[in-house]
Amino acid sequence: MPLLETEDLVKEFGGLVATDDVNLDVEEDERVSIIGPNGAGKSTLINLITRRLDPTSGDIRFKGESIVNRDPHEVVQMGVSKSFQTASIFSELTVRENAEIAALAAEHGSFGFKFLEHRDSLTGVHEVARDTLDAVGLLDQADRTAAELPYGDKRRLEIGIALAAEPDLLLMDEPTAGMSPEETEATVDLVEEVKRDMGLTFVLIEHDMEIVFSVSDRIVVLNRGRIIAEGTPDEIRGDPEVQEAYLGGVDL
Amino acid sequence: MSDEPAPASESEAEAGAIADTIGIWAPRGNELRIVVGTAMILALFPFVFARMPVVSDLLQGYQSLATLILIWGIFALGFDLLLGYTGLLSFGHAAFWGGAAYAAGVFSQHVSGSPILMVAAGTAFAVLLAWVLGFLSLRRGGIYFAILTLAFAQMMFYMSSSPLAFITGGENGFTGVETAELLGMFALEAELPSAAGLLLGTWLYLFVGVITLICVTLAYRILNSPYGMVFRAIRENEQRAEFVGLNVWRYRLMSFILSGLFAGIAGSLFTIHGTYVPLSSLYWTESGEVVIMTVLGGAGSLFGPMIGAGVYLYVENIVSGGHPFEFIAPFWHLILGLVFVVVIWTFPRGIWGFVRDVRDFVTGGED
Amino acid sequence: MSFHIEAITVLLNGLQQGAIYILLAVGLSIILGTLKFVNFAHGALYLVGTYAGLLLALEINLTSGQLQEWGFSTLGLDLGYIPALIVVPFIVFVVGLAMERFVVEPFKNRPDTDQILVTFGLAIILQELFRAFFGSSSLPFSQPAWAQGPPQVPFLAAIPISSWRYYVIGITAVLVLIVYLLVEFTDFGLIVRAGTRDPEMVELLGVRLSRPYIVVFGIGAALAGVAGVVGGPLNPVNPTIGNEILVPAFLTVVIGGVGSIAGAVLGGILFGLTQAILVATYSAWAQVGLYAIAAVVLLVRPQGLLGEAEVAP
Repeated sequence: MPLLETEDLVKEFGGLVATDDVNLDVEEDERVSIIGPNGAGKSTLINLITRRLDPTSGDIRFKGESIVNRDPHEVVQMGVSKSFQTASIFSELTVRENAEIAALAAEHGSFGFKFLEHRDSLTGVHEVARDTLDAVGLLDQADRTAAELPYGDKRRLEIGIALAAEPDLLLMDEPTAGMSPEETEATVDLVEEVKRDMGLTFVLIEHDMEIVFSVSDRIVVLNRGRIIAEGTPDEIRGDPEVQEAYLGGVDL
Repeated sequence: MSDEPAPASESEAEAGAIADTIGIWAPRGNELRIVVGTAMILALFPFVFARMPVVSDLLQGYQSLATLILIWGIFALGFDLLLGYTGLLSFGHAAFWGGAAYAAGVFSQHVSGSPILMVAAGTAFAVLLAWVLGFLSLRRGGIYFAILTLAFAQMMFYMSSSPLAFITGGENGFTGVETAELLGMFALEAELPSAAGLLLGTWLYLFVGVITLICVTLAYRILNSPYGMVFRAIRENEQRAEFVGLNVWRYRLMSFILSGLFAGIAGSLFTIHGTYVPLSSLYWTESGEVVIMTVLGGAGSLFGPMIGAGVYLYVENIVSGGHPFEFIAPFWHLILGLVFVVVIWTFPRGIWGFVRDVRDFVTGGED
Repeated sequence: MSFHIEAITVLLNGLQQGAIYILLAVGLSIILGTLKFVNFAHGALYLVGTYAGLLLALEINLTSGQLQEWGFSTLGLDLGYIPALIVVPFIVFVVGLAMERFVVEPFKNRPDTDQILVTFGLAIILQELFRAFFGSSSLPFSQPAWAQGPPQVPFLAAIPISSWRYYVIGITAVLVLIVYLLVEFTDFGLIVRAGTRDPEMVELLGVRLSRPYIVVFGIGAALAGVAGVVGGPLNPVNPTIGNEILVPAFLTVVIGGVGSIAGAVLGGILFGLTQAILVATYSAWAQVGLYAIAAVVLLVRPQGLLGEAEVAP
């Protein structure tokens, strides 16, 4: 059974069809990249999966269960985590607290009544947060206010928050956008390492083709809301329809 | 049934479990310091304000005002949980303050005048009301939340004004408050024996002071619990909080209910203190007053709102009275409004923030 | 009095009260919809209008407040109602421009709560300024002699409603129509409407929005000022009237739908009529019923009756 599957997924905004009959399968342990020209509907698809948007029709199933009627926080609790395109962090909290919030939600669920327990007593949460910060290389900055971090570190914190939620499936929306080559390399290494250590399944939206072709097990190509090609990096590289979509038929 | 190895490990397990339970409740970090410090300040406050030679004459303070400051301080403390920490602005908290005041008053007339029970009754009413109103108002955020809370509070005001006037006394307010002795023994207006009387004044102040201490401790605990972090996360980046798996809506509702709890305690004490419930305690400008106190004192801090309450009430009751403030006395409310706007504009951390900045500057160091 | 006459009286009273709400709500609505600014000081603009109207139209005796203490116990230009009706909107328009420049601009990018707080503070400041100078008691603002008593027209003469109330309805209708035409059919209105949809795009096209915006605020303020003048003879003239009238104004906006002029009109009519009918029938429950209905609409249809998209997150 695939970890994530969408069935005939459609999303319309008034007259615009952003997602057009998408059938996507993601198996456990896979690294899938979704690529496509701007406006292809990649972000819309991710937002549908994370339940930020409601589909016009169609189904989305995670671990076999339909999630189209769930709230975003419920889907996260089921094991789907997303790192945002912009560094969507908690600016006025410390780096450590950023990770702890996500770890708290993962360890203690979406809601609790623990308003009389001192947070120092939550050792599980502290451990997960510490390990996560270590994994993204921010442990030495744990006590800084998140707003003070340089942009590259904020992006890493963003990924860290997504990881601290202890997901089974990690969706990453353009994780290397706006990063320098060194930062990009560091992020790719991080993704590899995390995959190894935590056994995550990835779905990546990326524009950087080098990363896409080196990191992915499978690539899905979207154009105008539909899947126009799917396959291994080699298969996609030579696919004429993909070249048409990106380059308008120019010979590479 | 047998006495040997089982009880040994059992009692060990028990001891471990007890330690765990206490561990959850044990004061950590600064908690003990804060509680003891607050207790000391509360103990000295009425003396310094109302009875100390030279200082009190300068301040022109009096016992009853000291008590009132604590009461509004509790109200503002709880309100800050919602505004300063969770980032939600309600203009309808008069519903919980005034509602609890009326509930406590009516309770004293028809059921029991025990001050402790009156506080319990008023608080229970406020909490239930907060649950209902929060459930309805929190469906929308931002301005809709502010307007909805305002509308609901006004509804309660008008309900108390005419249709329910047979209970509430309508425009004349509720005059049937029948407070009895504390624990059946101590009349609240009576002075405490010997030194305590000089220091604290009346049994009423002791009663209010103890409750204030409990409320401060409770608020401090809440803010240092997972809730504190969640509230701040929601205020910082609500969307991200949802997308790390937190049920933002429920936490907001809890924040609203907790702020209603504090308002309820304060409202009940207000009735006990004044032995009268004015209709104005439900009008939205009363909600406005707690907003001003909280922001003025410093939203997002533990003690700021209480200081804000003190400053506001001092200006309202003493500065407005005349000597030696004759020149500005008729303009007291105007001045408060001006300072309020200045604080929002340029100094959002309020008086408490200013004090901390000065302290940091003087000690030359970080927190 | 026959039932018909009574019913018509109630309806007309409701329309007139609604007219005042409409004047306030249209301004508030376009400010909220266009500038995305929450103006808790809108009631204070009504306050300025009502006092200014009083001082221009009549001469009054002050019995308290600083002005009286400083020797100005009679004050007022005694120019009559028509001049007041013409001049006051300009005065409040200017006050609105000043508010936009000095309060709205700096707070445009600050969170909603800060906007509410600062305008709330401003409302208190204005209220207290008036209280300090003019005293707390209500000042007498009578309807003009030429508008007292029902109009000497067949049918209407039988209804016990003074002509002033008809004038209020009429003035409101004319002004709302003018604003509507302005927004729908002029270049200025086009810029404003486009700026509401997509401010970034408009600026990229080279159109500076700050000037139209300041005018929008001024128009909204002027309408509130007119409400103050026409409402003066009908509502109390005291420092707290601004805050009292703010809540119904906001509810009208939100019920009708933010950003929609038609919505503000509809909301105002509904609010005014409901209030009049309830006062005439179950008067004890009148206000409660009003707020209950408002709450229900807000809960069932948060975007308002005629509103489209959501404004607040």
